[in-house]
Amino acid sequence: MEASITLKKVGKLVGDKTILASLTFGVERGSLVAIIGDNEAGKSMLLKVISGIEYQEFGQVFINGLDSQKRRLEVMSSIGFVSHEIDLDPWLTLEQNIRFMAMMYGVDTEKANTHMVQLARELHMIPYLKRLVQDISPGIVKKGMILRALIHDPEILIMDDPTAFMDAESYRHTWDLLLRLRGKKTILYVSQSLTEVEAAHDRILVLEDGRIALDGSLDKLLGSTFEFHQFQIEFEKLPEDLFKKLANLPKVKNPSRIGNSIHFYGRERNVFFEVLNAAASAIMKDISVKKLGLQDLMDAKFAKDGIH
Amino acid sequence: MTTVAFMVILPLLLHIAITMVMKNILVRSLDQVPYEVWVFPGIIMLIASVSTFSVVYRDLFDLRIHKKSFIPITLAPYGKTQLVLGFLVTTIIEALVYVIIAMGVLTVLLPEPFHWTAYLFIPLFTFVFNFLLGNLMITFSVLTDRISTYLLVMIAIFFFVLFGTGVLVEFEFYPKTIGIILSYSPLSMVLSDLRGILFFNRLNWHLIFIPVFVSVGWTWLNGYLLKRKLKQ
Repeated sequence: MEASITLKKVGKLVGDKTILASLTFGVERGSLVAIIGDNEAGKSMLLKVISGIEYQEFGQVFINGLDSQKRRLEVMSSIGFVSHEIDLDPWLTLEQNIRFMAMMYGVDTEKANTHMVQLARELHMIPYLKRLVQDISPGIVKKGMILRALIHDPEILIMDDPTAFMDAESYRHTWDLLLRLRGKKTILYVSQSLTEVEAAHDRILVLEDGRIALDGSLDKLLGSTFEFHQFQIEFEKLPEDLFKKLANLPKVKNPSRIGNSIHFYGRERNVFFEVLNAAASAIMKDISVKKLGLQDLMDAKFAKDGIH
Repeated sequence: MTTVAFMVILPLLLHIAITMVMKNILVRSLDQVPYEVWVFPGIIMLIASVSTFSVVYRDLFDLRIHKKSFIPITLAPYGKTQLVLGFLVTTIIEALVYVIIAMGVLTVLLPEPFHWTAYLFIPLFTFVFNFLLGNLMITFSVLTDRISTYLLVMIAIFFFVLFGTGVLVEFEFYPKTIGIILSYSPLSMVLSDLRGILFFNRLNWHLIFIPVFVSVGWTWLNGYLLKRKLKQ
């Protein structure tokens, strides 16, 4: 597949601090890529650099094969950007904000109108178009920002927390639209909601201190957890000696105690049966087994140290 | 509606606060032009300055520091100098509307109206005056990050326009050296040349070309400053 976005050794400094450290990767045309990571990991800065809001100190960003700094004017038409914070003009109506941006990108008035109405229908926001932005709730405004970013029909859509402030219905409408665009446009987004990322991605990039810590599909990333499962057993009473006995079983990893519950990880499900056998004399109230998810992967203990 | 009312009230206020008071003190200019006629172009430039300030604040500074739609605007496929030029064009057009209304209001208060050609020259010179002043305000709108600093600078600029460009009194009333220095400011050149053509049918081309050249260079410089500030 052809690369839509290519980064070559991209580095970004803010003062003396390295925000992005020699990032090299490509994003395939038409793919849906999610970027996750801790606060200050450099996610938003990465989006800003790719979308041309801020230049990088080192390396090069190529958009559809064109150097984004040297051929900025050609590149910018193919990008639509949605920022994390609300950045529509509050003194204009939603429609005026969108029309203004269509004009800035030289979109034909009639074409812009048709496109705006079509997208507004999909996002269920026709009733809000004539209202001043300052009178609309932030979740609806955020949908308006996505509409504005799409008005010039860009090939690449870059979004920083696209569903921030949205209620469940708006969230669903937004993702219905974005998933319809999947394959037609390259979509790159940052989200703090791991559930959102698990549900919508072709590929996930995990950023850590300005570097890519993990890269791949959810299955591939979870493959790095070596089929670990998370177990929890709640006892009526968990004596200290029983906890120690269970914790010292050879296949039990990272045991911890919360009240009368023992919490641990194991590579195979049969670890669980060994623990159950060892604890057969005690009265159990509840048991649970869970396959590791993105949340567990993002837990610093696993992302940084692995399971010991 | 409020803006339209303000467009009418502002020239009236300036006429009452400046012309009606000063004409009793100065009566005539050094070239024997009645003061209320002599000050007319100055009042017009003051009105143009006020509208320039409000438009630059609204379209550039406010959008930039309050992170409204400024970043999306800068992502559109235009060079930064083109964007600055866009801000200037908006500023000049809005200022011209203010100026045309002000000319109408103030003309009613004059003992006799100017020759009709004056009403063509005044907007033309206002265009050049605003081209310069807009650039000056854009520079500070790009460089300043705090509203308090920005307002301080804008008030200082307004005072400079009021007292340092020959709006109210002729430079001959200033100490000689200061008068000479102020008369070489491009803003003063525009006003001085406008008075020359209105009252003596005398046009000094260099007094109009210098401000235009300065403005063109300044527009490019503002584009560069904007690019640096945005790190784009």
